[in-house]
Amino acid sequence: MKYHIITLGCQMNLSDTGRTKPVIESMGYEWTDNEDEAQLVGILACSVRQKAIDKVYARIHKWNRAKNQRNLLTFVTGCILPADREKFLKLFDIVFPMSELQELPEMIRQNGIVTPVSLKVVNQQEDLVFRNERVEQLKRSAAGLKLNEHMSDFWHINPAYESKFEAFVPIQNGCDKFCTFCAVPYTRGREVSRPSTEILEEVKNLVEQDYKSITLLGQNVNSYGLDKKGEEVSFPELLRLIGKMGKASGKEFWVYFTSPHPRDMTDEVIEVVAQYDCLAKQIHLPGQSGDDKVLIRMNRKHNMEKYRHIVHTIRKLIPRATLFTDIIVGFTGETDEQFENTRRIMEEFKYNMAYIAQYSVRPGATSSRWDDDVPKEVKKQRYHTLTEDLMKTSHEHNKAMVGKTYRVLVRGKERKGEFLSGLTEGRINVRIPSTDMSLVGQIVDIKINSATEFSLAGDLINQTELQSA
Amino acid sequence: METITHNKYTVKKIRELTKSTYVVRMERNGMAFIPGQNLNLGLAGDTEKRDYSIYSRKKDDYLEILVKEVEDGLVSKQLKRINPGDALEVDGPFGFFTLKEEHLYSKKFLFISSGTGIAPFHSITGSFPEIDFTLLHGVRYLDETYEKHDYPDDRYISCISQEAGGDFHGRVTDYIKQHPVDKDTLCYLCGNVNMIYDVFDILKEQGVPSENLHAEVYF
Repeated sequence: MKYHIITLGCQMNLSDTGRTKPVIESMGYEWTDNEDEAQLVGILACSVRQKAIDKVYARIHKWNRAKNQRNLLTFVTGCILPADREKFLKLFDIVFPMSELQELPEMIRQNGIVTPVSLKVVNQQEDLVFRNERVEQLKRSAAGLKLNEHMSDFWHINPAYESKFEAFVPIQNGCDKFCTFCAVPYTRGREVSRPSTEILEEVKNLVEQDYKSITLLGQNVNSYGLDKKGEEVSFPELLRLIGKMGKASGKEFWVYFTSPHPRDMTDEVIEVVAQYDCLAKQIHLPGQSGDDKVLIRMNRKHNMEKYRHIVHTIRKLIPRATLFTDIIVGFTGETDEQFENTRRIMEEFKYNMAYIAQYSVRPGATSSRWDDDVPKEVKKQRYHTLTEDLMKTSHEHNKAMVGKTYRVLVRGKERKGEFLSGLTEGRINVRIPSTDMSLVGQIVDIKINSATEFSLAGDLINQTELQSA
Repeated sequence: METITHNKYTVKKIRELTKSTYVVRMERNGMAFIPGQNLNLGLAGDTEKRDYSIYSRKKDDYLEILVKEVEDGLVSKQLKRINPGDALEVDGPFGFFTLKEEHLYSKKFLFISSGTGIAPFHSITGSFPEIDFTLLHGVRYLDETYEKHDYPDDRYISCISQEAGGDFHGRVTDYIKQHPVDKDTLCYLCGNVNMIYDVFDILKEQGVPSENLHAEVYF
């Protein structure tokens, strides 16, 4: 029997897919790239934009039509708004929050699909009664249950990592911040921190397997521990423990974290990142706007004074750190003057990368009840203006790297030409003229010889030396 | 054995303040909160939910919210029709519109509200009656000075824009222009976004640093 999963959205969904696969495979299913030959198909949904949800509806209608031709079981999980969940219950065979992933085999069994392996899952009568009850509860209450109630069970599942050298490690799930443009608090539930012992164990295992890039994931990654004050370590303490582990290992690897919220970004976090080599010198600090009033309307819970303090601390303690951000242009009510304030921070903070989005209504978010009153053309213009501003500062930064040597993680072959591609510790793309696939997954020295706005090109240092010899 | 639980809270009482504004009292179910925080709630079984600041005090054995019925509102209209014994689905508490413990008795507070934006300040001032505060409440009519007797007379200032008889005739913005704010005062703003934007500008002009400004927008 074969299965296929479609993953929509962010890194968190990708990471969750890595835990979903082994659960399904434990039932005897085998992965197929071709959804048309699968007997079990599922989607990890994303509710960030309506387009992503439209894709779910399009796919389930296709799958339900396909049921006329073949046996097919469908499921949906991931980020789903309560209103969509209600509709999905009528369209999909199985609908469940990710925190209930460990119950998926039982849910599949209850749909009449029995495999020898799945039978082993419920080999005790007591266990069977409990699981049946829980699955029935799930069915009855899919619209109202606490989304994160069983996250601890979910985190116990051993993930199947997609890469041999890059991995995501979830450390926190959910969001309590309620930004008005975002629906995550309604799709992922409340902030729940994973036990630090489990995180440290997973990171340690990855380091032992020579993973080079490890990203700690969470909707508000630096709010880690705040839901368990006094019972769990704080985010900077967690980083410190990872830093110490890295130092003791003697290995070279880079640990990133995303996405942090400025509200919980303390000086201590920056101090710890500065202190340990394995904590990557790259900070992603979503700003969303450079205007205090827009930030109020976004319910961001930070202002520019706080944000400026964080950036100054980063520049002071980690001068070589690269700085990434997220910006929304054309948010409801954003005036020309407010947009100009965002342009000013682009100049002031000299970001290396900014993920700029033109505001679009996100169903379920508070702002979806407001007029989307900035015309499309204006949003588009602001997007292009800001991108040009970004290109100037990032190009300046990249040009200053030319002639210097950097450690680069080689990630794979470029689609075109005879090049490998990689990332610096600061996550700037590097193109390397080589086809030596044995370098993939290695951190190597690259001498940078040219720079564009968003990427670098360089030669392997030993090649350069050979050429000059 | 873990069970899936719902956050059901039984309504205990409805207290009408005006034709369109009312207080919903519900059981507390042991919920711990910090005054100034809010709840996300709606009718049990309904997918529509809205955020409401907690109106009741920390020591109360119930939870209260202050609701104004909104034309075309999907939740406020339904809440108007509930009865004692009905169930609400409540999630929370959430939010950071709270006073820092170290500031409680060492700082001056100016609470500026419009309409039902007074709700978090009702909870805060009722929970910490000893703090040094002034509460400005901007409304259009006198009958919208919801339960003003709950605040000390010398600390509550109603700013009534559409009729005479309040403590101040005009908007809260007019009051602040005429009564400049000391820059060390911690200012907490709660209400509609236009009021917050206007007050924000005035306070900045008067030299209040943005680190002393805290806002909770009601949408």
